[in-house]
Amino acid sequence: MPRVLRILAVASLALALTGCGIPTDPEGTLARIDADGTLRAGASPSGALVRVSGDDVAGSLVDLVEGFARSRGAEVTWEVDSEEALVDALESGALDLAVGGMTDQTPWSDRVSVTRGFTGIDGAEDTPVVFLLPMGENATQSALEAYLDEELRR
Amino acid sequence: MKSMGRTDLPPEQQRALRSAVRWEWFTIGYTVVTIVLIAFVVGGSQAMKTAWIEDMLSLIPQISFLVALLLIRRKPTRAFPYGLHRAMGVGHLVAGVALLAIGGSLAVESVLGLLRAEHPAIGTVYLFGQTIWLGWFMVAVMTLIVVGPFFYGHAKAKLAPTLHNKVLFADADMAKADWTTTVASVVGVLGIGLGWWWLDGAAALFISAGIVWDGYKNARSAILDLIDQRARTHDDAEAQPLIGRIVDALEAQPWIGEAGVRMRDMGQVFHVEAFVVPHRRKVTVAQLEAARHAISEMDWKMQDVVVIPVTDLPDETERRSRVAG
Repeated sequence: MPRVLRILAVASLALALTGCGIPTDPEGTLARIDADGTLRAGASPSGALVRVSGDDVAGSLVDLVEGFARSRGAEVTWEVDSEEALVDALESGALDLAVGGMTDQTPWSDRVSVTRGFTGIDGAEDTPVVFLLPMGENATQSALEAYLDEELRR
Repeated sequence: MKSMGRTDLPPEQQRALRSAVRWEWFTIGYTVVTIVLIAFVVGGSQAMKTAWIEDMLSLIPQISFLVALLLIRRKPTRAFPYGLHRAMGVGHLVAGVALLAIGGSLAVESVLGLLRAEHPAIGTVYLFGQTIWLGWFMVAVMTLIVVGPFFYGHAKAKLAPTLHNKVLFADADMAKADWTTTVASVVGVLGIGLGWWWLDGAAALFISAGIVWDGYKNARSAILDLIDQRARTHDDAEAQPLIGRIVDALEAQPWIGEAGVRMRDMGQVFHVEAFVVPHRRKVTVAQLEAARHAISEMDWKMQDVVVIPVTDLPDETERRSRVAG
């Protein structure tokens, strides 16, 4: 049995060292964003975080999502809807990401991936705000969280 | 910790018992630390969650051993004329049923997760200016805690036969197999990392199947002793060899023609009923006492010994020719 452990240790070490490919998205969201150059994002109005006027979306969360897309060389196509409709779209794979001032207490965590709560976003201050992603798209989540860490902790 | 009910423990058993108690406390301490460590990293992996709950469940045998130990040391009283030895069996049963029930529900949960194709989510943590995938911490924690059960598992496995304690034996047995749980959870997490989401559910199913199997073995062994099956060895592998030795010792007495024994495991100590057919119609109290004494002296586990003169041996008793089976 220790042999199994040793093999596993070596395998994990090898994966960790060459680990650029980990984590991977089971549905390939991040790779698709990179390849297509489009990030399909959903927005639900929420105070200063997400402002909607006509076709125009703005706000600090919108800026962060657009900044993330830019960092991957992609453009954002926005879709404005209610939170539940956005969650449905994330589940069916029609959206890559959704914002709307949800906090780390959001009840949607059963159906979609929820990022860590980020504080220090303009208009939210100390409230930990989260971003919603399709369930289990861990590479996308890691990339987004890494971007937000960099952006918000500067 | 010198006596156990009516029995005074021989020095070897006293030492083993003290050592077992120390190992049980050590195990509890170690397991609590691992539960806290895993709590920090448990995340969205079903395999990690299952391994975590298994860790919590693994405390039950140790706790029931320590609690039962307080009870079984008491001397028999008029209210409890057989002593409280069954407490060990009750603890064993509780542990078995808990493992069975919770293991079953975890197995159902992981099967449902697989059927619904739930993709487990594992995010990142921000540490020392770096954003690191939480999965790596899961792998690190599990690799760190895998070593403990090897030590205490083997230590307890050595003590269990000396003490003839089935809870300790089962506990050691589970600890020795604990590394498979750890390996499975690491495989599950790495599976998620590689985008093979189903590997996590499969690993969780493997771990919960292990819990169910442990629960079944423990509950079965506890129930069989509680309903008074013939005494067996600490690992339930064979009939207790002492039975044969008792029959031999009795038949070596000049006044006894034939002997048959009924022996049950009270949990750590035995209750022996020896039936003897004397050559002559008269039996003296001194002869009976001598026979009883000979059996009690044979092993410290002979807690309660009665010798009953009869004209015919009851059918269900163990005799010289049958003991082998």
